[in-house]
Amino acid sequence: MAHYQGNSDIIMDEQMPIFGGYAGGIEETAIVDIATHINAFVMSNASWHLDGPVHIRWGSTNTRETLMIAGWTCATISEFTNIISGNQYYPCAGPCTEMCLLEASAQSITDTASGREILSGVAAAKGVVQDKTTGMEARMMGEVARATAGMNIDDVNKVLDLLVSSYEGNYANAPEGKTFQECYDIATVTPTDEYMKVYDGARKKLEEFGLTF
Amino acid sequence: MTFARSLDCFEFYERAKKGEKMTQDDWDLMTIPMKAMELKQKYNLDFKNEFVPTDKDMMENLFKAGFEMLLDCGIFCTDTSRVVKYTEAEIWDALNNVQKEFTLGTGRDAVRVQKRNVGDKRKPIVQGGPTGSPISEDMFMPVHMSYALEKEVDTIVNGVMMTVRGKPPIPKSPYEVLAAKTETRLIKTAAAMAGRPGMGI
Repeated sequence: MAHYQGNSDIIMDEQMPIFGGYAGGIEETAIVDIATHINAFVMSNASWHLDGPVHIRWGSTNTRETLMIAGWTCATISEFTNIISGNQYYPCAGPCTEMCLLEASAQSITDTASGREILSGVAAAKGVVQDKTTGMEARMMGEVARATAGMNIDDVNKVLDLLVSSYEGNYANAPEGKTFQECYDIATVTPTDEYMKVYDGARKKLEEFGLTF
Repeated sequence: MTFARSLDCFEFYERAKKGEKMTQDDWDLMTIPMKAMELKQKYNLDFKNEFVPTDKDMMENLFKAGFEMLLDCGIFCTDTSRVVKYTEAEIWDALNNVQKEFTLGTGRDAVRVQKRNVGDKRKPIVQGGPTGSPISEDMFMPVHMSYALEKEVDTIVNGVMMTVRGKPPIPKSPYEVLAAKTETRLIKTAAAMAGRPGMGI
């Protein structure tokens, strides 16, 4: 920290509050999340704070509870401070699956609508399986953010309720998805036709839930 | 009462040596859950199943609760098993003087990170990448290139290279340093090969 400060570096201070952990439920975890956002700027003189409310049972940031913690915390921080905040993405499902893209979309919608400045991801398959992330998940995160920006908050909440309901029963059996090598032609760094079809299917579902690209 | 000078990492270090002693169990199992529960009740917090809030009074209560949590509890330093406390004036000093914008990257690939608001019409910055996921050594560059090739992606967040020269980057070994430097060099090369050499990483 002393080095970064002495070097005039951009400082990112990260913390991932755990829903169901020591703090407890949704509101209690959001209280801790607000406190740790503020602490980043007192303790570390941070330039920005990287958030990531995560579910203790599923290891995911895309559950209903963790999205609520992220949404409320970010909106509150945006409303009452000038803090710059990011959020990181850990869906249960792996790449080349509709569920993975829908999970990432739910968080992108929540983050964009609640005033988040930086979306950081996507660590598909909970970020724990080797080579199971690709640029396609980030494309979805970006396209959904673009579609969400400026949306009415009541409409955002309706879309999110439908969207999260569509996948939240599948955490225990989330599809494992495919590795980068199976999702892309490595020589040309181009996604496979299969992944592009899955992507289009997820986009269509998002439109059915009320998102306009 | 005002503070002697703005708090920094040096002052934090001093307080981490002198603050109140506490065990981590007391902190984790008593201080944090009890205070969080107390503040939820004091401020009558109920998110009513909303993902993004529409009730500004409830948001203000959440802000007060979070601020009070930090003020009353402080921060537990696991290295010294001591609690670091701040004054209210020190916390406001930090909050009133946060960086409101900064640049990531260089040249035409640079992006300006600026404060957004609830319902903002501007798209946030997209930091694409594996976000700490494990990536094999031979796939490290193409994986990161797949993000740099996406125009929706503004900056890169790295994955973790599982081996370097075939060896695991074990903490406190020289391979750890080599892996960190190799990761950075490969990601910079990946961004350059995607035609975006100035991308922030």
